Amino acid sequence: MSAWRPLLVVAALSVVLAGCGSASTSGTAQTAASAAPSGPWSFTDGSGKTVKADKTPTRIIAHAGEAAALMSFGIKPVGIYADESVTTDLNLKDLDLTGIEILGQEWGKIDVEKAAALRPDLIVGDWWPAEKAHSGFEEGVDEKSKKLAELAPVVGVAQGKSIVDLAEGYESLAKSLGADVAAPAIAANKKRFEDAVAAFKTAVAAKPGLTVAAMSPADDKLYVANPEYAPELLDLQSWGLKVINPDTPDPGFPYWENLSWENADKYQPDLILWDGRNYKPTSNAEWGEKQPTWFKIKAAKAGAVAAWPAYWLHTYGDFATELEKLTEAIKTADPDIGD
Amino acid sequence: MTATTSAAPAATTAGAFRTVRRRRATRSLVVTSALAMAVTALFVLTMMVGSFQLTAGEVIASVLHLREDPSVDFVVRDLRLPTATSALAVGLALGAAGTIFQQLLRNPLASPDFVGITSGAGLAAISGIVLLQLGGLAVSGLALAGAVGAALLMYVLAWRDGVAGYRFILIGIGVALFFDGLIGYMLTRARLSDARQAMHWLTGSVGQAGAAELRLLLGALVLLLPIAVLLQRQLRTLELGDDTARALGSRVELGRGGLLATAVALVALAVAVAGPVIFVALVAGPIANRLLGPATGGIVAAALAGATLLLTADLVAVHVLPTPLPTGVVTGAVGAPYLLWLLATTNRQGAGG
Amino acid sequence: MSNSTHVTRRASALGPGLAVLFVALALVAFLSVTQGSRSIGLLEVLHALGSLNSDVSTDSTVTLELRVPRTLLGIVVGAALGVAGAILQGVTRNPLADAGIMGINSGAAVFVVFAVTVLGVRGAGVYVWFAFAGAIAALVLVYAIASLGREGATPVKLALAGAAVTAGLASVTAGIVMTNVDALNELRFWQVGSLAGRYAPILTGVAPFLLLGLVASLGFGRVLNGLALGEDVARGLGQHVTRTRAAAFAVVAVLAGAATAACGPIVFVGLVVPHAARFICGPDYRWILPYSMLLAPIVLLLADVLGRVVAAPDELQVGVVLGVLGAPAFVGIVRYGRLSEV
Repeated sequence: MSAWRPLLVVAALSVVLAGCGSASTSGTAQTAASAAPSGPWSFTDGSGKTVKADKTPTRIIAHAGEAAALMSFGIKPVGIYADESVTTDLNLKDLDLTGIEILGQEWGKIDVEKAAALRPDLIVGDWWPAEKAHSGFEEGVDEKSKKLAELAPVVGVAQGKSIVDLAEGYESLAKSLGADVAAPAIAANKKRFEDAVAAFKTAVAAKPGLTVAAMSPADDKLYVANPEYAPELLDLQSWGLKVINPDTPDPGFPYWENLSWENADKYQPDLILWDGRNYKPTSNAEWGEKQPTWFKIKAAKAGAVAAWPAYWLHTYGDFATELEKLTEAIKTADPDIGD
Repeated sequence: MTATTSAAPAATTAGAFRTVRRRRATRSLVVTSALAMAVTALFVLTMMVGSFQLTAGEVIASVLHLREDPSVDFVVRDLRLPTATSALAVGLALGAAGTIFQQLLRNPLASPDFVGITSGAGLAAISGIVLLQLGGLAVSGLALAGAVGAALLMYVLAWRDGVAGYRFILIGIGVALFFDGLIGYMLTRARLSDARQAMHWLTGSVGQAGAAELRLLLGALVLLLPIAVLLQRQLRTLELGDDTARALGSRVELGRGGLLATAVALVALAVAVAGPVIFVALVAGPIANRLLGPATGGIVAAALAGATLLLTADLVAVHVLPTPLPTGVVTGAVGAPYLLWLLATTNRQGAGG
Repeated sequence: MSNSTHVTRRASALGPGLAVLFVALALVAFLSVTQGSRSIGLLEVLHALGSLNSDVSTDSTVTLELRVPRTLLGIVVGAALGVAGAILQGVTRNPLADAGIMGINSGAAVFVVFAVTVLGVRGAGVYVWFAFAGAIAALVLVYAIASLGREGATPVKLALAGAAVTAGLASVTAGIVMTNVDALNELRFWQVGSLAGRYAPILTGVAPFLLLGLVASLGFGRVLNGLALGEDVARGLGQHVTRTRAAAFAVVAVLAGAATAACGPIVFVGLVVPHAARFICGPDYRWILPYSMLLAPIVLLLADVLGRVVAAPDELQVGVVLGVLGAPAFVGIVRYGRLSEV
């Protein structure tokens, strides 16, 4: 008898499991409302491909920063997929996401079933030229997540050399989707950005000798950013700011030059741009305490540090806010601290 | 709970012997069919749950193309069927390979997880992701090469005085630790997105299977499982005739080598599909053996037990936990206590052989 | 037997040998203070060491606040890992035993990840205590599990319990890390052992534990010799095997736990150095322990200096250098070592 017990368990299990399903019902009903938009619609994607549709898309699913960009023009997506929790994602955390379905909060994982229920007619994700993929469809994500692309066409602006290009790209995408980019509340953001750029240029021009370096201190090393791979730093350079290009970036990972803490004083800028992902107002003092050589960078010792948005900004408004802070830092910086 | 194969026949007379054999064959058949039923039920259940709840009827109709309903078909055929199939295939492959290792090495702990083969596959795959920015089939190919390489390394390092005994396991654990150290280094060299891809791969998840790798594994299962069963049967016959073993020695060695190669291929392909899903290979064999009782050692039963485990683990990982996690997290978190329990309860076995 | 004369002859050679190693360690330590990813002239180094004033120049800061603590940390951590490995190999009679195999690294890693995600703490200075607690917890768990059952913590059960605990904890770590980018980022750098960025506070934090453990370890030579003859013989010699083993594990937990907490998982030193010591001294643990204690920091500091010099102005973590150098040594031990005794 006892020898047969395991068999009975297996048999019973399969019966129970088979029975489970019949109780549940299929819940695919989905109300597709909203006024019929005009068409036809077309948009030239970052990959160079032109995507066409008979009707202007209204039910949009967007990746994190891209969603923020669309929302800044008044286009509210029906779903968002992010690479981390939407409460910590720097592009999303201050936005009101009520009424938007969150389809993923982990890189490589998108709930395509939930996405299908939203009946999207457009997916928006940045185009990454190096990876030749849109955000969310890169190499290594779940195969299942990639099926999102079968629900609707995917478009996005190309990531590359400038945040301004990115913001402009999403402006034209939003416009094509019916956003009123001239509406006062929306245009104000762009106006604020343009003013911020002008003020930034003036501040930079007033201090021709000022040099800055973008840095990210870590426990075992000091990382110096390579502007070549940071669109926001390229933008700053194009507006006249002298951002130091490190001379020996890590060959395997050219986004940074790695300096051992013994060599922390290799670059002596007048102002340090601190990686905004881990900057707090108290950071400079903390690192001075913790790393004996941090204050060997004269700018650090003088407290000339400012946060730099080292995450992919997408909107005029966010960039304007960051620029205004940088402009203040440049105005107060002493161009003779460094070498 | 032993995995040794050929228990000497208990009965002496031919009649009793036949009865025992018949009873064993019946039991083996019943257990195997019951497991097959459980696997089928789980396979269907996996495709029923999710953001859409579907009935078993809808799932079966869609899979078998009995009814056309585009929205159901998209969810079932495009989204859920590939994952469910990969859980099934990977489970079958790991279960079969695990029990083959355990039987050939005569050690219930000699699963591919512990003798460095899974780690070798992991190291090769991670190197591909991080150093060469590879993805998809290329990563799987590297995993395959890594598993075979690790198996060869183990052969070179440990085969000297045969594979029986715990020396093999200790060396295996050492080799695995060495590979794991290098994997850690690789992860620091990666950019964050690559590190995430690598970590994702490393934890083992049936959701990451690409179509091409899956087809390869399915093909291998169709081809290799019958071969393994045949080789095992032949080996048993050879090993029973002990007196003639001298003459047959080379044939036995050949058979053992062939069986082991089959197992390595199955593990490698399973790792290539889903990453290193740990502990399934370790526990599938012993579970099947406990169910089989005296008819121990069935490769098919162990394979089915592996599939049951993996399908269940995937259900738990994706639908029961608050955030969906890779399958390997669940099998690891459940398998480790099982192994510890095994260690704590076996007396002589833990003492070393 | 003539064994005693043999032993005395050996001792007469081994005693001066220790003195030679001590001098070698002093030389390597000097190298570690004078060489690095920043080129500082010998005179400046000597001047800084003489003045003991770190505010004079960047060179003096680097010398006194970076290199000196780093070198001292390398010495105590290296000694701790070497001795811990030797004790583990003796007490488990597993020539491949090492703190990593006993689950220490995975225990420390899971606590570090927990600290980052749940408590939101950052930085090597805070991780130390979490890692220390995690390492000890994992080792206690492994030992407790292996001790269940009739015959207690046998070598094989220890190794398997270590592997099982490692695998289980690694799953938990992976589960946490997959949903938290910050934790992944912190973990992947913690995971490679390094002496960089560890300054006076960390050194003074762990040094008392390490020194205490090192002093205590020297008392284990005789009992390890007894255990090496087999448990039955050891019992016959009047040893309390279970108690000895538990005490040895406690010392290992403190040594390897504090070392891993301070520097992250450092591989191979604990595994390879005791074999080198055994090769020089023969099977007598009264000599193996002090030899491991001096040889291990020599190896660790040399690897660290190498990593600092080859990649300047960047650095290679010492864990990476040891991984590359240690692999052939590992294969050598497995292939030609005395594994037949297992």
